[in-house]
Amino acid sequence: MDDSVNNNDTPSASFCVNSSQMERSKEELELRELVVPDVRDLPDTPPSAVESNFVCYFAPDFMKPGHDQYVYRHANGLCVIGLASAHVALKEKGVTAVDFNVGKSNRSEIKVTGKRKRNAQHFEANTALCKVCTNDVPYIVRCCVKGSLLEVNNRLIEQPGLLNSSADREGYIAIIMPRPTDWLKDKNSLLSLEDYKKLRDIC
Amino acid sequence: MSTEVSQVNGDAEAHFAAASEVTEEVTNKDAQVITEAIPSLPSHVVKDLLSIGICVRCILRLFGVRGCTYSCFSPLPLDLHLSIKESKGSHDCTVGNCSKASENLNSAHVFEESEVKSVCCSICLGVLQFAYCNEKEMLVRKDSATEFAVSIAELVKQEGHQIDSFSLEVSVPPIILANERAICLYMKTKYGSEPWFREMFLAEHISVKDALKLSIIDSLEALLAIKYGGSSFRIRLTYTHAKTSLKLQNFLEKDQGCKRRKTGSEDSLDALGSDFSEQSAHEVDAVFRRSLDGLPDHLFCQHFKLPPERVNQPCHLAFLCNRASVYIGGRYLKYSRNVSQSRWIIDDERMGQASVEEIIGSNMLPILRGDNYKFHAAGREDIDVRMLGSGRPFLVEVQNARDFPSSVAVKQMEQKINNLEDRLVAVKNLKVVGNQGWALMREGEAEKQKQYAALVWISHPLEEEDVKTISSFKDMCILQRTPIRVLHRRSPLEREKIIHWMKVERITGSSQYFLLYLCTQAGTYIKEFVHGDFGRTHPSIGSILGCRAEILQLDVTDVKMDCFLTE
Repeated sequence: MDDSVNNNDTPSASFCVNSSQMERSKEELELRELVVPDVRDLPDTPPSAVESNFVCYFAPDFMKPGHDQYVYRHANGLCVIGLASAHVALKEKGVTAVDFNVGKSNRSEIKVTGKRKRNAQHFEANTALCKVCTNDVPYIVRCCVKGSLLEVNNRLIEQPGLLNSSADREGYIAIIMPRPTDWLKDKNSLLSLEDYKKLRDIC
Repeated sequence: MSTEVSQVNGDAEAHFAAASEVTEEVTNKDAQVITEAIPSLPSHVVKDLLSIGICVRCILRLFGVRGCTYSCFSPLPLDLHLSIKESKGSHDCTVGNCSKASENLNSAHVFEESEVKSVCCSICLGVLQFAYCNEKEMLVRKDSATEFAVSIAELVKQEGHQIDSFSLEVSVPPIILANERAICLYMKTKYGSEPWFREMFLAEHISVKDALKLSIIDSLEALLAIKYGGSSFRIRLTYTHAKTSLKLQNFLEKDQGCKRRKTGSEDSLDALGSDFSEQSAHEVDAVFRRSLDGLPDHLFCQHFKLPPERVNQPCHLAFLCNRASVYIGGRYLKYSRNVSQSRWIIDDERMGQASVEEIIGSNMLPILRGDNYKFHAAGREDIDVRMLGSGRPFLVEVQNARDFPSSVAVKQMEQKINNLEDRLVAVKNLKVVGNQGWALMREGEAEKQKQYAALVWISHPLEEEDVKTISSFKDMCILQRTPIRVLHRRSPLEREKIIHWMKVERITGSSQYFLLYLCTQAGTYIKEFVHGDFGRTHPSIGSILGCRAEILQLDVTDVKMDCFLTE
């Protein structure tokens, strides 16, 4: 199986290349022509997967000053919730623990199953998702949008440091599925990336 | 012959002027003619049956007559008909007898014709009298089996199929079963003790369906110039009788107390009345058949009159003919990053420029002159992912093709598709496959491996060590949570997948871009394996190289499956 990878090299021993080998080489050449890009077409820094597939919204000072959260919404309506870069909890990159045991239940214990997303809990925008501790100071993270909670990032339990290194990707908090009508309402209270940057003076 | 007809007609009309019942005199004449033609039949019984409104062919059926008699009245030479020796007791239908029978029955039939103006056979409801309501709700009566066959043949020819054989399917309303049972019980009661009864009557008699088929198959063969048999082309004659089916519905409810299989609520069904559709009649018929089988004779007699009631309206006949689906298999390549595999419409707007399904299907359909096509493929790729290399196996089902799928036609299709101006899609190894095409495609679809070429960017320059690391992995296990981009319609699961091997190819002139070739287990999400999907696919290229990784382009270079590899 691995050898097929190197079949771009010409056969070493004999010079009698039979027709099927020639056929294959011809196919490979055609394939290469299609696959190998023109360097001049490549941008220096391509858009990230998030930039290409999500619209980024922000909720500054959500229910409390300094509690900035993001809502990345995919074209299919699903929203990834997390801490925006200017969130107070992230200020000194000192996040030490994440606890999903808030409110009435432990959010990391939900088991959503099936295409219909059975057992998903319906939460309001101000429902607590988890507690993030920075130097023993707890900060509550909330849903920001009304909808069904599909998933929480339980890797944060073992690796709270993900919030310090990449809060906007591997350190996401949860995935929520809002109903279309609910989203239209909640959307109005969120800021676009541009407006958020201006507000927080980020370039 | 024609003078005889008009003379006979005149007599018949005189007798029929006022009454809707068959008169004694006419019945006597008919009976005489029939028994002269087939001497073994007891004339008093024939007379009796005629008087209660049984048609000639049903009488013949009840007496166990088989073979060519049903198709008699045809002008075609008799040596086309099989000469059939009877099994138990019924008469021998040898060629000699047949011609005499044919002549005599022809004249007998003329009497019958005027009868039917007012009444249909109490058993077959006109089916074997070639009387029916057509699609346009018009009453039609054919004078002979041949004429009926001619009208069927005309309908078939109108469709313009290129065929070499045909099969015939007939379905009749099951009230006919009840009618037949009623007549048999009636005869058993009345004539059970007579000497001929045991021999002649208890013989198995052919059904209305089979009699109808026997009467027209030979003619159809001759008219269409093809052989009867095989299953590639079907002619379907569906007889229904809404009024009696409705009555049966009610009978079922009251007596059996069984739950009616719903086609609508009880109120709406009663309100339907004359709107009782043919479709729901069909469903009711099936239920009735079952109930009837389970009903013992004494209970049967309580609900069905012996002999059965007369009906004034014949059945409704629906005619259908079509060719069984033709399957064309092959492999397709997709060169565009803006073409979806199947037709994709959201809010009345098409996603992408075109679809593989439509490009292939719409170019095949007119060549075979079919009604519809259905596209099936072994797996799929995203709209922005090209399908290169050996291509992906696919199957197109063409429904009711008018033309025969010859190898010439298939070559035509391949050329047509591959020479389209915008060259979005190409096809290879096109050929007609039987029903096993399905199994071929589904077989091992989940186990097969796929090969890809991905254009990857990383957030720091590619080191030689990175190249070595990536190439060193063999059969690496990864865990993928359902990617967010499909999470709205798939179950949230964590799936274990295998990356069999990877190879890095540097791109001259770039330090952060490279080509990643990989071979993975079927069902692996490649894009998520590269960018990590918020860390939900682990490990990923990014996590392996300790940096951010993005995927710009993806191409499928090989679908490792055995099917449709050759022409």
